[in-house]
Amino acid sequence: MQDLLYFSQQLINGLTIGSAYALIAIGYTMVYGIIGMINFAHGEIYMIGAYTALIAITGLATLGIAWLPVILIVALVCAMIVSSAMGWAVERVAYRPVRGRHRLIPLISAIGMSIFLQNYVHLAQGSRNIGFPALIDGGFQFGPEGAFEMSLSYMQITVFVTTLVCMAVLSLFISRSRTGRACRAVSQDLGMANLLGIDTNRIISATFVIGAALAAVAGLLLGMYYGSIDPLFGFIAGLKAFTAAVLGGIGSIPGAMLGGLILGVSESMTSGYLSGEYKDVVSFGLLILILLFKPTGLLGKPEVEKI
Amino acid sequence: MRTSAKKLVTAVSASIALTAAGHAAAEIQIGIAGPMTGPVAQYGDMQFSGARMAIEQINANGGVMGEELVAVEYDDVCDPKQAVSVANKLVNDGVRFVVGHLCSSSTQPASDIYEDEGILMVTPASTSPEITERGYELVFRTIGLDSMQGPVAGNYLASLNPKRVAIIHDKQQYGEGIATAVRDTLKDKGVEIAMFEGITAGSKDFSSLVTKLKQADVDYVYYGGYHPELGLILRQARQADLDTTFMGPEGVGNKGINTIAGEAAEGLLVTLPPAFDQKAANQELIQAFEAKGEDPSGPFVLTSYTAVQLLAKGIEKAESTDPFQVAEALRSGSFETPIGKVEYDKTGDMKSFEFVVYEWHSDGSKTPVN
Amino acid sequence: MAAQNLKHAFFCAVITLIISYPILGFNLEAQGINVTLTGAGTSTIVMVLLAAVVVFLFQLFRESVMATLKSIPRPLPQTHKEPVAENKRAKIESRVLTAIIVLALFWPFFVSRGSVDLATLALIYIMLALGLNVVVGLAGLLDLGYVAFYAVGAYTFALLSEYFGISFWMSLPLGALLAALFGLVLGFPVLRLRGDYLAIVTLGFGEIIRILLNNWTSLTGGPNGIGGIPEPTLFGMEFGRHVKEEGNSSFHETFGIAYSGEDKVIFLYLISLVLAVFTALVIRRFMRMPVGRAWEALREDEIAARSLGLSRTSVKLTAFTIGAFFAGFAGTVFASKQGFISPESFVFLESAIILAIVVLGGMGSQLGVILAAIAVTILPELAREFSEYRMLIFGAAMVLMMVWRPQGLMPMRRIHIELKKQE
Repeated sequence: MQDLLYFSQQLINGLTIGSAYALIAIGYTMVYGIIGMINFAHGEIYMIGAYTALIAITGLATLGIAWLPVILIVALVCAMIVSSAMGWAVERVAYRPVRGRHRLIPLISAIGMSIFLQNYVHLAQGSRNIGFPALIDGGFQFGPEGAFEMSLSYMQITVFVTTLVCMAVLSLFISRSRTGRACRAVSQDLGMANLLGIDTNRIISATFVIGAALAAVAGLLLGMYYGSIDPLFGFIAGLKAFTAAVLGGIGSIPGAMLGGLILGVSESMTSGYLSGEYKDVVSFGLLILILLFKPTGLLGKPEVEKI
Repeated sequence: MRTSAKKLVTAVSASIALTAAGHAAAEIQIGIAGPMTGPVAQYGDMQFSGARMAIEQINANGGVMGEELVAVEYDDVCDPKQAVSVANKLVNDGVRFVVGHLCSSSTQPASDIYEDEGILMVTPASTSPEITERGYELVFRTIGLDSMQGPVAGNYLASLNPKRVAIIHDKQQYGEGIATAVRDTLKDKGVEIAMFEGITAGSKDFSSLVTKLKQADVDYVYYGGYHPELGLILRQARQADLDTTFMGPEGVGNKGINTIAGEAAEGLLVTLPPAFDQKAANQELIQAFEAKGEDPSGPFVLTSYTAVQLLAKGIEKAESTDPFQVAEALRSGSFETPIGKVEYDKTGDMKSFEFVVYEWHSDGSKTPVN
Repeated sequence: MAAQNLKHAFFCAVITLIISYPILGFNLEAQGINVTLTGAGTSTIVMVLLAAVVVFLFQLFRESVMATLKSIPRPLPQTHKEPVAENKRAKIESRVLTAIIVLALFWPFFVSRGSVDLATLALIYIMLALGLNVVVGLAGLLDLGYVAFYAVGAYTFALLSEYFGISFWMSLPLGALLAALFGLVLGFPVLRLRGDYLAIVTLGFGEIIRILLNNWTSLTGGPNGIGGIPEPTLFGMEFGRHVKEEGNSSFHETFGIAYSGEDKVIFLYLISLVLAVFTALVIRRFMRMPVGRAWEALREDEIAARSLGLSRTSVKLTAFTIGAFFAGFAGTVFASKQGFISPESFVFLESAIILAIVVLGGMGSQLGVILAAIAVTILPELAREFSEYRMLIFGAAMVLMMVWRPQGLMPMRRIHIELKKQE
């Protein structure tokens, strides 16, 4: 019984981290699917979302507003607006001018943008870790008294459910709405979509904006869940999320979710049963293994090479 | 060819030295080398804050031997390559005294250059034992070594007769060093160590670690590292309903941990230098920091302050600004500083350094345990 | 049209405000144990508003501004001139290069220790960039984990000197060969991967190596790193103030001159110079051999290359192996220069910087890569005055260079022979 509870706990931990990775991974996978470039600055957009959310929350607290739903909604909206604006600006400044060139050029541009944004926030807000208030507290406890008790906190449930909801909304959007259809068309064939009258520039900007908005949601959720933020934590999270996106098949949105969950659970299990020190090694090792046997990722479409 | 080139080089160096000496007539340059940017900039902030405050106060009291102290600041980003560049730049700028560096991996290669060029270095934060094991004359520390802090923590824990203890560290120089020292002390006392594991500094998610600790069913958890990670661990532990007592070194004993952990910081055990709150002179100092809006409780603020103070006192004692003579003066004297009484041994380490166990509270205050 | 422009300009200004005001305009401060928000100083707010206004005006009058910029005469008028004849160009080039190398040999005796030290660092980066140039620039393989080979070279020397007392000269080829072996080992799993999948796997490999170095404390010292790495000796003469190993004499004592810290710095610089020139020459030779041609063929069109009979396996593996070999050189020199290495020096950002150097120099072009390596090493030092803003400027500079001149400083000119016109 103990072992089962321990296993379930680590599984829950893993699924929660995994959902977080998935939310951020969507941004990577959408951008790659549509213009074929890795947006290294996406992790920083997530970080900016978290900072904006904290600023909003602290601002509301100073004004004396204490009702939780209002705080959350205002913080969420503020974070989404600022992140989306940032995503839009980054695309216009750093990626649009170099679109179509050899794939390394936008990559370097993205890395440069990532360094720039990290230092921008560092200079503006200082480098120390700032605590995020735990707005959603408490949870369920299962298990016999006195022995190992499994706990499922409300925050964990919130993260997981929010991710599912976002995924569902996004999938509906992509499959039902006009812009969604345009997105799919552009990701299939940019030139053709242009010929058919779709404003590809606008669609590409929209992709960045959607990805950034989702990253902002992740920023608020994870800030509350973990407890502190600093200017550099976006980079590591971004790298993990990118790994998740590739694992699941880059370009595929359900792939991002699957990849995120697999990565989260594998990290959690390694940490729980082996040692926390090597969990990154296992994650990357898993990635290499999967790519060896399925080079385009788990749910990725096999790339047919046309001569 | 070689001799004439050598003459040219000597001439150039001499003129640089003369210019530097020309500077020294009116002021003494104190170099401060540490991370202003990069992943550990928040600890660099502490170093610069403490050193600057010391320089200000010493100048307000008339300076050293009638001369003003001037701070010359350098950013090494805690990167060994940049630390070497910074050291070379320091040499070029004619600075003879350095407070720095912060990270052991920066201090070590930089100290090679300082020792070679005759520059006195006092590090307020580097705890790697190797720094003072190379027989260098011009290297000093104002931070207590793990060999002093570890046994204090270990002995205290052992005295509580725990059944099992878990030890976690952040895989870095300081954290792993002190965690190892505590582990060795506990082992000697026959306490069972349930786990000895490392986490990656900078990570945010400790849910699997917390679950593992829960399962390990320990009485105490010792954490070797700094407050950002321990704050998160405490917070996530409380959320997961893990209520064991944690203990940490001075790196976690500052107000930053309260902003992150909130209520969960209540009951945390910390080893700290005792003179912190007990002397009246320190109260004024703490108020001076707070008046500037800076937090004096960071682990490296007072050690950097002390480093500058020791340099000043050393220069006064030796009555000269020659680094070798100042080094001799430091080794042969006994000084009262905000971190306690400081006396140096041959290698540049403090002879003894007292640590006391405190209990931390959720409002940022602390009380000594008996 | 004007209304459209106005709307767009207004939109851009609003976006500027949104991305700057919340982050710059409010400061999160930890007061005591709580976090509070304070408004930023008036100067910051004024700057934010000013930025928004500038963006507004720029977008509004973008057409005229861009036209004015284009009408400014280009800084490199030579691009409109006729290219010099091939054989004459080759002669001029070789003369200029020889002159530069001679200058580089005598230069260190006249400048300060710091400059020589910086130059040695630049030479290390030149070796790294030339090596990565083979993988990325010539063979077109997107390698984001190059720093792993660098680390292997450095740690090989450190470990050999710590456990077996092996000197610099013996470790140099050993480190390079071991790094080349790692290159071979990495090459196998990634044979079938292309493009960005290759990138992420190589990135993962780089991170795995770094984590292993950080955690395998018993072998590598973990986060404490390995210190006491010796400097190179000259026929048994050491360059330190005191002789560290028995049986070695001291350089300054043998020659009867006063001890100067500069001697060992200059000596290491000269060794790095020789190694860098060696690297450049060897790679140049490779470029003219069938192997080099095969790399470029692979980069241009993998399917066509394969259909012509080129073995994808051997081409990719040679690229990885040779690139890694030179990273091993650079790693050994780096370890000796610093005297101490730790896993902190081998993070992903290093790989990114070396990659940026290759792209900045013009992929495939050796001279461009050398220039870019020198620029990337020296410019941040010159900018030390700005200390806090240094990294910010660095990031912005990377973006600007890509936007402004994506083909690099000196785009690659393929080695070719021109037929003379028949009269």
